[in-house]
Amino acid sequence: MSQRWRLKLEKRDRVSRGLQSFALLIASGVAVMITAALIAATGTNVAAGFGALWSGAFGSWRTLLASLTKSTPLILTGLATVVAFRARVWNIGQEGQLYAGAILSYWAYRAFQGQPPAVLIIIVIAAALLGGAACGLIAGAVKVAFGVDEIITTIMLNYLIGYLLSWLLSNPWRDPNSYYQHSPAVSDAAQLPILVEGSRLHLGFLVAIVAALALYVLVKMTPLGFEIRAFGLNSTASQFQGTDVRSLTLLVMLISGAVAGLAGGSELFGIHHRLKADISLGYGYTGIIIAMVASLNPVAVLPAAILFGGLINGSLKLQTVNQVPAALVYVIQAVVLLSLLTARAITSYRIRRVQSV
Amino acid sequence: MFDNLLQTAIVVNLLAATVRIATPLLFGALGEVITERAGVMNLGLEGSMLMAAFVGFLVAERTGSVLLAVLMASLAAALVNLLLGVLAISLDADQTVTGLAINLLSSGLTLFWFRAAYTQYNTAGTPLIEVMGDLEIPFLSTLPVVGEVLFSHKILTYLAFLLVPLVSFLMYRTHIGLQIRSLGEDPRAADMAGIPVHRLRYLAVLAGGLIVGLGGAFVSVGSVERFFPDMTAGRGWLAFVIVIAGNWKPTRILVVTLVFSLLGAIQLQAQGIGVQVPYQVLLGLPYLVAILAMIIGRARSVAPECLGVPYTRE
Amino acid sequence: MESTSFITVENLTKRFGPVLANDALSLRIRRGEIHCLLGENGAGKTTLAECLYGFHRPDSGEIRCEGRPVSFESPRDAIEKGIGMVHQHFVLIRSFSVLENVALTAQKRGMLLDLSQIGRELKSLCREYHVDLDLKAAVWQLSVGEQQWVEILKALFVGAELLILDEPTAVLTPQETERLFAVLRQMKSEGLSILLITHKLGEVMRVADRISVLRDGRLVDTVAVGEVDKQDLAHMMVGREVVLQVERENGAAGAPLLEVDNLRVVDDRDRVAVRDVSFTLHSGEILGLAGVAGNGQRELFEALIGVRRPMGGQVRFEGEDITNSRPRDIQRRGIAHVPDDRMHQGVVGDLSVADNLILGRQRATRYRRGPLLDRSRIGSAARDLIDTFAIMTPSLNQKVRFLSGGNLQKVILARELGDNPGCLLANQPTRGLDVGVIEYVHTQLLEMRRSGAAVLLISEDLDELFGLSDRIMIMFEGAIMGVVDPKATSVEEVGLMMAGIRDEPR
Repeated sequence: MSQRWRLKLEKRDRVSRGLQSFALLIASGVAVMITAALIAATGTNVAAGFGALWSGAFGSWRTLLASLTKSTPLILTGLATVVAFRARVWNIGQEGQLYAGAILSYWAYRAFQGQPPAVLIIIVIAAALLGGAACGLIAGAVKVAFGVDEIITTIMLNYLIGYLLSWLLSNPWRDPNSYYQHSPAVSDAAQLPILVEGSRLHLGFLVAIVAALALYVLVKMTPLGFEIRAFGLNSTASQFQGTDVRSLTLLVMLISGAVAGLAGGSELFGIHHRLKADISLGYGYTGIIIAMVASLNPVAVLPAAILFGGLINGSLKLQTVNQVPAALVYVIQAVVLLSLLTARAITSYRIRRVQSV
Repeated sequence: MFDNLLQTAIVVNLLAATVRIATPLLFGALGEVITERAGVMNLGLEGSMLMAAFVGFLVAERTGSVLLAVLMASLAAALVNLLLGVLAISLDADQTVTGLAINLLSSGLTLFWFRAAYTQYNTAGTPLIEVMGDLEIPFLSTLPVVGEVLFSHKILTYLAFLLVPLVSFLMYRTHIGLQIRSLGEDPRAADMAGIPVHRLRYLAVLAGGLIVGLGGAFVSVGSVERFFPDMTAGRGWLAFVIVIAGNWKPTRILVVTLVFSLLGAIQLQAQGIGVQVPYQVLLGLPYLVAILAMIIGRARSVAPECLGVPYTRE
Repeated sequence: MESTSFITVENLTKRFGPVLANDALSLRIRRGEIHCLLGENGAGKTTLAECLYGFHRPDSGEIRCEGRPVSFESPRDAIEKGIGMVHQHFVLIRSFSVLENVALTAQKRGMLLDLSQIGRELKSLCREYHVDLDLKAAVWQLSVGEQQWVEILKALFVGAELLILDEPTAVLTPQETERLFAVLRQMKSEGLSILLITHKLGEVMRVADRISVLRDGRLVDTVAVGEVDKQDLAHMMVGREVVLQVERENGAAGAPLLEVDNLRVVDDRDRVAVRDVSFTLHSGEILGLAGVAGNGQRELFEALIGVRRPMGGQVRFEGEDITNSRPRDIQRRGIAHVPDDRMHQGVVGDLSVADNLILGRQRATRYRRGPLLDRSRIGSAARDLIDTFAIMTPSLNQKVRFLSGGNLQKVILARELGDNPGCLLANQPTRGLDVGVIEYVHTQLLEMRRSGAAVLLISEDLDELFGLSDRIMIMFEGAIMGVVDPKATSVEEVGLMMAGIRDEPR
């Protein structure tokens, strides 16, 4: 009767917080290594490269403020993702909803231009929320009415909103005095007030923080949040216990879209001061990554977004100083997400030595 | 009479363009259908195709060999798929997020790599490659109308259309096809029947990747002399939708692909046909139609039961 | 003894994490015998079977086939050694045809799929056992009994010499069970070995040659059928004296509470599952619903709780029309339910015990302070329920999926009964639970009846129905075949109705 020892991979019952943090650490480590490899591959000195990344991100008070500014839309798109993903509604349309918010808020600006600044700002913020909400609602409605997967609808809408924006900027809203295809600049009254003099940190940042806290309360402490979480974990049991799938899906897409739309309005009236095609540089997709890194916790989105905002600035500096393409930041983001997914998946198993025949 | 000729020429152009445009979509959809029939949902399809397109361009630019470029492109997509495979099959990671992450990785990596490799040029001056040549079928390509529409394409196009009956045969008339299909419907039942679930899923994922890669190769090496970022422009997503609208059956996939391709061809030839619509509408049409196709097709579309669900023996 | 042994198991041990499913089991299965593996739910019967079938690898011990040790890496190896298995939950691919399912299990002969050849061979097998099946039909189109035949044919097709059947009669009417046993006896006389896994004492006495009783993963003993009686076996299964009948006091039913009128419901594949069903549920009564699984009980249940919209007919509660009401409204009126799939329909596994105890009631003012949830009030309410229902859990915050099946059911009961509902709809409430919890659930149901609530008890266990119900409805192919008084009828009569045979009026 022969007996052997063999290694067996078993699923763990639960993953402790310690192990979760470990996974995050591993993921970060892998991201750092791959970043180093890519920097080296361009012929740049790795240490110098990381130095540039750091100094561009948080190296000085000024760059810190710049990173906080950059993080503003990321916080919002991250939050938008958190709300949706908690309910297992796969909203991938943050990019389109962001632009929808920007578009509607610009329209509102044009319609209410004469209003005093405080009123105007409230109007455009509300319009940004509405624009994003409407966009999200379309995807939600298509899912509820026809059963079409929201992943596909939201991605298709991303493309469609992009084309809509392109048409708006080349025809009705085009700045006649400019060579570029963008809208005329908005008046001073419509520019979001700057929070720290000498920087570009604007009101949007405060709005984003408030949104993070509000969504934390919503998700963790209200009956609606309870329903969202229960539905995401087990939609069947939730249905049996009274959750109306249709209205929950619509509500979640509405809230998610609205928050993403807010990002669009915030960027338009806080930074660019006009409607243009590149208000967002993939912030919608970055938001998805941030939400995953934050483990779908609204408050954890804040540090994650600030980190990623810093990374974006850092890579811009890296491009300026060392000619490493700024596109590096997109690679880093994706690598962080993939290595996090891998690390989390690996730590959900444990290895045991077992006897067997 | 001249009008007639002009009209015929337009129709011929339209149909020939349809066949061309269908090529990467077919590769994408057929590759994806094999993967999905085995129960693995590859949302990273766009990313695989993009990586293949870039690698194809890179290899063509460096070596001048179209054949090598196509092979390496195919391999590149298979590797990207392998990444998804490891996470989805062996680690039971969430396939939705993994697929998205792969898209982002591919998009970022190709952009970075492209800029890093060609920083000495600005976009106007990036090196050009020699595009794949047409393979005109002797005699058949000289036939009026049909000759140009069907028989004067690149070899990849012929391959794409040939794959339709091939994949169909594989799926429904071979043992391995039956086994692959069982994985998507009920992996536990397949396991009980002694089928190696994980191993076969990896095979499906890799095979799917090789096919998708051919589509990516066509987008770059097979069509255009230069590479530009996000070159695949949503073709991978359209292929993903085509699989659903085509109810996971190769023949229906072909029909749906041709419909989308015809739309794309119309958009290209818009001015020639005299369509007076802002170009953005035409560009956006495929995406709108995709949503409509899903709405219409949803009612009769039945996905493999266990698509996207990881399997471990309990 | 050894020479006639076909399969020998020696000291087989199998662990799943902390759970010791099989503990040093030893038994022998002879050729040409029907060997029953008897035990309660969770005794380790299925695990042993799955080790024999190569689905699991034992941690220690040995399996011998005709004296020679074997080691199975996968079911493929077991199939090659002549071991076939019919699982409790069928491993058939529902969208494939019968032929395709058999082809999947069959040994691969070449690359091409030849379904017609398989069809010919299958047809002769069918003739041999007098089974009539449409081989081209998709499995989902077949009845549950027919699907079981596919499973059996599949095993025979690949040359099984040992046929393992895991709880095969759970889905059969009494008549279909007899038919199955007749075929098993035919196979036995042809030299096949049969390992029949069951928890039903009656069946064991009828069909077994030898019986191995498992309890808590260990073998209690292997006996020949002539050496024991039902009481002995029950004692061996449970380890203590077992009361085989529940005490039910006499009671008169009260006013009609839930009235169902010509209800028509379709299933997920748009086939009519509930056909013009009418009945009345009175307060203070337990109305049983008997029937083999798959005859519309699930769709009826889902329609009554509001999860599935009926196509026609009416449902009234306390006189008010609730036919198209949503689950939330139905619950608010005081109609509680216990679903048959605990884990997927009854609880959210990754939420805590406390959270599951307020699931569906999270908006109630007693759990809120303003717009926010009041965690302290939720906590104390949860603690009360845990005490009252004796739920064993290390803490309020334990994720509910770690609870045992019995405690899980108690959480569901606590939640539903904690509202003091006027009506309870229970779908297979004791399935898969061990005797102690079953007794507890029965006590709760009877308590509800005593306090004037109305209970609809849907169950596949005729003993349970006979023991608890005031009246029993029988459902077959979506229609009510009859409503009987358990004191005035017999299991056999009910069995006939379950099989679709209505009593001719005398």
